[in-house]
Amino acid sequence: MTAPLLEARNLTRRYKLPRTSLLHAASILTAVDNTSFTIRAGETLGVVGESGSGKSTVARMVMAFEAPDAGEVLFQGQNLHSLSAADLRVQRQKFQMVFQDPFGSLDPRRKVGWSIAEPMRAIGVDGDTARRTSEALEQVGLPARDADKYPHEFSGGQRQRIAIARAIVTRPALLVADEAVSALDVSVQAQILNLLMDLQDDLGLGILFISHDLAVVASICDQILVMQHGKPLESGPAAQVLRSPAHGYTQTLLKAAGVF
Amino acid sequence: MFELDDFSVSFGSGTALRYANLEIREGDRLGIVGESGSGKTMLALCLMGMAPDAATISGRLSIDGQDMTHANERLWQQMRARRVAMIFQEPMTALNPLRRIGDTVMEPLIVHDGLSRAQARMRVLALLEEVGIPDPPARMRMFPHELSGGQRQRVLIALALACNPALLIADEPTTALDANVALRITDLLVRLAHERGMALVFITHDLAAVARTTENIVVMYGGDMVERGPTAQVLANPAHPYTKGLLGARPDPTAPARDANGKRRRLPTLPGTVPPLSALPQGCRFSGRCAVELDYCATTRAPDHAVDANRAAACHLLGGVKP
Repeated sequence: MTAPLLEARNLTRRYKLPRTSLLHAASILTAVDNTSFTIRAGETLGVVGESGSGKSTVARMVMAFEAPDAGEVLFQGQNLHSLSAADLRVQRQKFQMVFQDPFGSLDPRRKVGWSIAEPMRAIGVDGDTARRTSEALEQVGLPARDADKYPHEFSGGQRQRIAIARAIVTRPALLVADEAVSALDVSVQAQILNLLMDLQDDLGLGILFISHDLAVVASICDQILVMQHGKPLESGPAAQVLRSPAHGYTQTLLKAAGVF
Repeated sequence: MFELDDFSVSFGSGTALRYANLEIREGDRLGIVGESGSGKTMLALCLMGMAPDAATISGRLSIDGQDMTHANERLWQQMRARRVAMIFQEPMTALNPLRRIGDTVMEPLIVHDGLSRAQARMRVLALLEEVGIPDPPARMRMFPHELSGGQRQRVLIALALACNPALLIADEPTTALDANVALRITDLLVRLAHERGMALVFITHDLAAVARTTENIVVMYGGDMVERGPTAQVLANPAHPYTKGLLGARPDPTAPARDANGKRRRLPTLPGTVPPLSALPQGCRFSGRCAVELDYCATTRAPDHAVDANRAAACHLLGGVKP
């Protein structure tokens, strides 16, 4: 057994809700409650749940966009939330994110090559950014010359490929995909899922795959964590969770995913 | 009730809808399935008389025997009040955020049916009750932002039902909703269609939702109706190569993610992407992406071939010529 790439221990995140009355203290929403999981290199963990289940908050804590109120995120054994800003910036190249909206996540006024190179600039990678940008484009199945085009020249599926190229350009060990295929048509979705699997085989990526669609999660994940209202409901090897879901809620998700 | 005869819609050199033939009878529950750019929303807009001004229309659309192909807006307004209503994908933006729910739903009753405010109020209470909104008197006074996504979609359904349409068109009504809520909305639509004897046209890319909701489906690709038949039969045993590819590309939650050697199984995909409207092949729209292709597929449009008694698919391969 290798050491886990990512280990989340007892993550808890609370938000203060706006006060509804001057006389009462603001109430607290626990967005993520005592949630733990691990991801090994080359493995995919699927986090499934509906809006408000806390799955995106989990992603934000893993990406160190925000800190948990309790618990810790260990990336390659290091607690991300105890790193200095400078150390975190260096670490960031090893974990990158792909977002849901392939239209909103690329700057429409910049050539896509510029957007793909952005993480390298943010981290301070010198030289050779052009070559690495072309490499990343080819890895996601697009010609290197596409770096000189603008986002509007691409279809939704191609834009999601570009977003993935941007995420892998720093050669990360972990990819966080938050609803990365939800906005795509079924046939395009299958192409992007296959691309993620190819990249995982080639690069040994660990993937944290967040989705509301259990069918999609089933096709790509080794482990599944089902969340509801911020709480981990059930988790385990994908086949086991899908074959004998312990919770009524998981069964509802299965029904919605549609086995007909 | 509703009939399309070789109905086509084009914009300049691009054809959004080509030789559509469709019949909708009282109480039918029909699914229109397709991906972005397949023409399914254009079809819905035409049934509502809301085709864009720039569109060139040919063929014939008739409602209750009346030719509506080139009907003017006045005629359509009458038709929309009595015969056909539509609900949309996004329950957030389809309601006026500055008006109370009750006022919004009362409006068509006052404008179209000429009811007094008091009469309209009674009808709205009954409608909200019918679509499963708890405590209708309180909800009538609320603004859209005070309701959840599912509740908003219910309000829109109540609004669409206000003038007792004979046909309800639902364009991606569950896409923006969570799984649980989506299940309840599709159940509601089926119940309403059944109780009211109302026809339902359910437009979606969600094959699971269409399987739960409809009796018959039409599969669309690149503006063509490529396959039609009873929903269960088409989904279980698709005849058109596109339908086969589309169903195959769906992830199957019951299949193991890795094969016996621990290698991750790839999903079957359709090669390539949907070409833009202006670059669609002249013949079968799916040619170029199809796994089995005859030499005339790209140039000759495939007619509907019967698959069995009540099924048809527009594919040359079904025309007796085997590759």
